[in-house]
Amino acid sequence: MAARVLRGLCRARPALLPARTPPGIVHRAAAGAAPSSEFRSEYALDRLYLEQARSDPAEGSQDGTKQTSPDIPMDCLSISYCRSSGPGGQNVNKVNSKAEVRFHLASADWIAEDVRQKIAVMHKNKINKSGELIINSEVSRYQMKNLADCLQKIRNMIKEATQKSSVVSKENSQLLIARVQKMNRERLRQKKIHSTIKQSRRVDFD
Amino acid sequence: MAAASRGGGPKAMELLRALPRVSLVNLRPNPGAKKSEKRRGRGRHGGKKSGRGHKGQRQRGNRPRLGFEGGQTPFYLIIPKYGYNEGHSYRRQYHPLSLQKLQYLIDLGRVDPTQPIDLTQLTNARGVTIQPLKRDYGVQLVEMGVDIFSAKVNIEVQMASELAIAAIEKNGGVVTTGFYDPRSLEILCKPIPFFLRGQPIPKRMLPPEDLVRYYTDARNRGYLADPSKIPEARLELAKKYGYVLPDISKDELFQMLSTRKDPRQIFFGLAPGWVVNMSEKKILKPTDERLLRYYSS
Repeated sequence: MAARVLRGLCRARPALLPARTPPGIVHRAAAGAAPSSEFRSEYALDRLYLEQARSDPAEGSQDGTKQTSPDIPMDCLSISYCRSSGPGGQNVNKVNSKAEVRFHLASADWIAEDVRQKIAVMHKNKINKSGELIINSEVSRYQMKNLADCLQKIRNMIKEATQKSSVVSKENSQLLIARVQKMNRERLRQKKIHSTIKQSRRVDFD
Repeated sequence: MAAASRGGGPKAMELLRALPRVSLVNLRPNPGAKKSEKRRGRGRHGGKKSGRGHKGQRQRGNRPRLGFEGGQTPFYLIIPKYGYNEGHSYRRQYHPLSLQKLQYLIDLGRVDPTQPIDLTQLTNARGVTIQPLKRDYGVQLVEMGVDIFSAKVNIEVQMASELAIAAIEKNGGVVTTGFYDPRSLEILCKPIPFFLRGQPIPKRMLPPEDLVRYYTDARNRGYLADPSKIPEARLELAKKYGYVLPDISKDELFQMLSTRKDPRQIFFGLAPGWVVNMSEKKILKPTDERLLRYYSS
């Protein structure tokens, strides 16, 4: 069963988009390829995944990935860890798990200029006197996870700042106004009907 | 007799000649080895009421069954049934191995980081104790101690969380997750009793349906995952957790770090079908074509 599934997964795939691996990253199958003295079964990785022809870059795709998920250069950030707040007894008193990330916003070249200004406006409460944007995180009990959370917050900030507010076209804006007016008219009409019903139920002894 | 244990060859022989013959008269157990049992009804401390108390059901041996609460609906009947443990014997269990414990074992020298770390190495180091008969399917890497972990290892576990994988790769190591069916797991954890049986090493079975997806995913560093997807997954983790991915191909231990087992192999360096003779220190390999075809399928 598992064998059939595996074969289906692997053989059904012809040579896909050839991707050249970025330099310096190792290829397990190629580099640690089983020498002839090692045991190789039918399910050895190089038999399961037929070697695809590797052609030239991926430089294009690398740039693509850079734009979609901005790569935060770690040397531009200054990271520090301190003790978290909240309950936890001796462990919370001793263990440094709150991560703080700072970087000078105005001189951050890896963010576009207009995005930088937008962030300065949106998150002006997080920027100190010397112009450094400060982000904290103490979500988890591990420094690494808190650091990852800080980085994710930075990415979210950049994403929010890059979003352009949608401009409603003239016809659409008029439509929207008309809709609101109609809703109000209908509501008042229903209210008057309800009022007449209640009045008709009133008994006047006169 | 104390002196006899120290003597060398000829001295021991002389002593033996001089000392009296060993017999029941001369033998005695070590002090404290034999503790006499408590016998009731024999004298001052075991006697009189013989530990049974004063009158009543207690003394007369008529106490009701375990769980009886004097007529009140007992606890084990008043609590409604719910399937908390239903099917518990079919659930796979993975013994947790924290990175802190792994670092501890490496620091004490019980586990050798210059060789690929396997469940066998962990069991030999007594770092984990796996009971394959209790539905244990192996070991899972847990994040405790992720901030202090600083060892470069090639480790193979059965499950690993994302943060644990990130911590190991940050230090330049390599993680793989592999599946072992219960028979292979028992052989892996206790290799010597298996070799003494004289059976050929069986081939490792493939994972069941619900685990195939886990082990073919590069994000879990599955042993059946596409090797070309693994570098991307490593990069992704490096970006997420904010560390520079070290280049292991430039490492001196690169050969060791990239060794990996074949999906059908249980031990490094031993193939399925081989018989290991411990007493004569020999390995017997099959030569019949049908057997070879079976064991490499």
